[in-house]
Amino acid sequence: MKDIIDAQELEKKNIFLLLSSPETIRERNIEVIREISGRGYHTIVITTNFPYSILSKLYTQSGILPESISFIDAVTRNSLGSAENIPGVVRYINNPSNLTDMGIAVTEVLREHSDKKVCIMYDSVSTMLIYLSSANISKFIHFVTNKLRLMEVSGVFLAVEKGLDPMLMTQLTTFVDRVIEADPAQ
Amino acid sequence: MKDTGAEKSCIEADFLDNALVMIAVLGGNGRVLSWNHAAETITGYSQKDVVGSNAVWKSLYPEKEYRDSITQKISGILKTKNSFENFETTIRTRLGDTRTILWNTKKLGKDAASHAIAVGIDVTEEREAMGFRNSVIENASILIAVLDPEGTIRVWNKAAAMITGYSPAEVIGRRDIWKKLYPDPSYRRMITDRITRIIAEQDYFENLETTIRMKTGDERIISWNTRQIGSGGIFHEIAIGRDITEQRKAEEALVAYMTEMTMRLKQPVGIMSTTLLESAGLVKQGILSTDEIITVFETQARNAKQIEANIQEFQSAIVEKNRSIPEAYRTFLNG
Repeated sequence: MKDIIDAQELEKKNIFLLLSSPETIRERNIEVIREISGRGYHTIVITTNFPYSILSKLYTQSGILPESISFIDAVTRNSLGSAENIPGVVRYINNPSNLTDMGIAVTEVLREHSDKKVCIMYDSVSTMLIYLSSANISKFIHFVTNKLRLMEVSGVFLAVEKGLDPMLMTQLTTFVDRVIEADPAQ
Repeated sequence: MKDTGAEKSCIEADFLDNALVMIAVLGGNGRVLSWNHAAETITGYSQKDVVGSNAVWKSLYPEKEYRDSITQKISGILKTKNSFENFETTIRTRLGDTRTILWNTKKLGKDAASHAIAVGIDVTEEREAMGFRNSVIENASILIAVLDPEGTIRVWNKAAAMITGYSPAEVIGRRDIWKKLYPDPSYRRMITDRITRIIAEQDYFENLETTIRMKTGDERIISWNTRQIGSGGIFHEIAIGRDITEQRKAEEALVAYMTEMTMRLKQPVGIMSTTLLESAGLVKQGILSTDEIITVFETQARNAKQIEANIQEFQSAIVEKNRSIPEAYRTFLNG
């Protein structure tokens, strides 16, 4: 099967916008992580929909080593009220609309794993649209992509295909190195 | 057959008396020698009242200041000429109405006993109609400009001045206003080409949208309509411009809101639906703990709540941007 993310481009620390249908977005997420973990990368998953504990189980079920992934979870603390960070595994932020906390978490988690080959997976731009305007999302992604380039880290932003308006899509396209369209077979 | 002198005089008198214009024959000092039927009808003063004296002029121009100004003007003209043409005055009739009269005079004879013939045309209705037309043009809330065949601006109404920032004094009698309104040569060329193309097919254009630069430097979007007016081979162009800047802004804002909200409603709802179905599958497989199930439910409920708030924001934005929404719908949309 053809790789979703080109190995050489990943090696060049490129940043990708990965599009998918809503029905297959989870599957796509798991496939990409399996692929990049297989290349020796540590993946930092920023999740705004499924809690860390469930995603962790799904990845393990799919044969992905738990130690190759750490999480920034914007879901759990919002529901349970409190959840303690687990160093090196998960860092919780209070809610997905708090971009300041999310920015700090990204910076700190990247620092924690600075001795590894790291890739950030942002799941997903579409869920963030529930809580934030496209203008704020665009600013935040600009901030994150700049940080990734400065720290020489690659990244994957997941979004639902045909779910972004032309203006936001144009902006995101200029922030990333490549847009990977949804698999037509899906 | 030749007319005799008596017959000729009789025909002339009859003609003068029944002409549709005021005709007065004046002697020295403005003394009235003859006063035709039309003069009687228009002024309300009969031949008997006026012939033989110059008192009628005081009655027709009762305000001293106005009368003196008229006398002064007439004297000024007669110093250099034997006649005057199309001299307009306003008279007061016997009934107290005012009428506008267009005077033409001619001096007959050269000696002291010479007479003057004064012909007055009642142009009151015409002037009133013209005044009404001018008032309509002047006070219209749309830009109105009239161009002569050479492209010189002849009319530039108040709205034109307000929309563009250029006063009538800066525009009327000139042809360079378009350079000021379209300072970018390439845009001006594009507009000119479009207008030329349209005019080649028809003599007018409708709803042609252009962006003008105001005197202040701001830009406005104008929707133009033109028509040719006039007759007898001399045509003027009337250009009517409606400022649609605010309308366009509202439309653009509405499209932006609709796009944003479509993006923030449709796809997230799709993801919520997938997440719930996926979670149901995981529950069936016994993979999820109670805490995890609660977290999924609460997260999706919170997402739904947020989407509801987003819809409310969307409704309010539509109400705010579209003033034409009926009140009942406005209240409903405002929640």
